[in-house]
Order: sequence, then C-alpha cells, then structure tokens
Amino acid sequence: MQELTAGRLRRGLTDPFLPVAALALLAVSAAALDATVLCWSSIGALAGFSLSGSV
Amino acid sequence: MLFSPGWRAPVRQGEILAVFTLGLLLGGLPSATVIWLLSGLAAPFPPAFRTSAILAAAALGTARELGLIRLPLPQNARQIPPDVLQTRLRRGTLQFGFELGTGVRTYVPATTPYVLASALFLAGLPLPVTLLAGAAFALGRALSAALTYLARDDHRDTAIATRMPRMKTTAAIAVLSALALLLL
Repeated sequence: MQELTAGRLRRGLTDPFLPVAALALLAVSAAALDATVLCWSSIGALAGFSLSGSV
Repeated sequence: MLFSPGWRAPVRQGEILAVFTLGLLLGGLPSATVIWLLSGLAAPFPPAFRTSAILAAAALGTARELGLIRLPLPQNARQIPPDVLQTRLRRGTLQFGFELGTGVRTYVPATTPYVLASALFLAGLPLPVTLLAGAAFALGRALSAALTYLARDDHRDTAIATRMPRMKTTAAIAVLSALALLLL
C-alpha cells in the first residue's frame, strides 16, 4: 500500500477535477430547486474554471 | 507563470493571488455589464425562441467538447505577453488578471464561457444577476490559480493538461443540464 504523504494528500485535495465536479453538482441542484441566482453563479464559476491552465 | 518559487519570490505569493483575483473581478464585471447592455437587443424575441437558442448553444458547446462536431471558436488568438509580469509585479499581475477576467483579451479554448455569454445575452436577466455571473466567472478563474498555489506541485501543469478534456466535457454537460432544468 502506498504511503499517504502530505504532498500526495495536498495534490489529491487540490485535484483540478474536484471543483468541476462540485460546481457541476451545485449548478444542476440549484436549477432543479429553481434557485436562479445560485444556478447562474455556479454556471459562471464553471465557465471560469473550465479555462484552467489557459493564458 | 503567475507564481515563482517561494525562495526567490520578491513579494508574498498570497498577495500576488489577491491582486490577481482583484484584476479578474475588474475584468469580469465590465464584460458582464456589456453583455447586460447588449441583452436589450434580444428582448424583442419571444421567450420561447430565446430559451431554444440558449439550449441550442449549450447543446452545440457540449457536442463540440465531446468531439462530435468541429466548430471553430471565435477566440482572440493572442497570449498575454509574459513580460507583463516581469517588470512591475503587482501592476503586471493586476493587468494579467484584468485581461483574463474580461474573457475577450486572450485565448478562450473551452465552449462553456461562450455558452455563458450567449445565455446571459439571451436570457434577459436583471443586472445584479448578470454581474454576479460575471463575478463568478472571474472567481472561477481565480480558483484555478488558488489551487495551483496551494498544490505546490512542480507537475501541476501536467496534472491540469491531463484532466482538461474531462473537465471541459463535464462542465459543458453540467451547464446544458442546468440550463435545461432552469429554463424549461
């Protein structure tokens, strides 16, 4: 079993896919609940984050 | 590119991140304001037509990310010059953030931002909601930089590049689903 070092844990917690998954869930949930403002905000954040690594 | 290793950083990296985030917000809010002003042009069209157009744009974006269609993106194919960050660090970082925050001054290689812009243009939302979406776009870009800062990983660029196709596809599907649920 691989040892869980601080570096590995940090890299896991900062995995670039995690925010996409969280924001996607938030956007769809907010839309299902008719939470308009939260939904548009989540979509905005998703759009911004989807440009990760791009300059 | 934004963060240099701590041992040779002339200023605190957290400060650079804060200035960069401010720049992103200063860029994102004017773009949102312009979209809101232009959205008046779409107001005469019936709501059903505007909803269909929003969902069609989101579906097109998703199809492109899935590789089902080939569609050129109307992006500004220009990279922000690296020397922006090499002369005056704080001012350069602010300018760097501003240019990225506008969404029109450099490459925009994912479809989700285009879907967001067209949806905001067609939906006819109140100004505060449009501004909030613009601020969220800026903060989404800032989150990417914040995670890079926190990761302290020499191979961060590789990690992002490896996950990027899945990230863009997931974002596109989520935006299409959310818009369909919200507008239908």
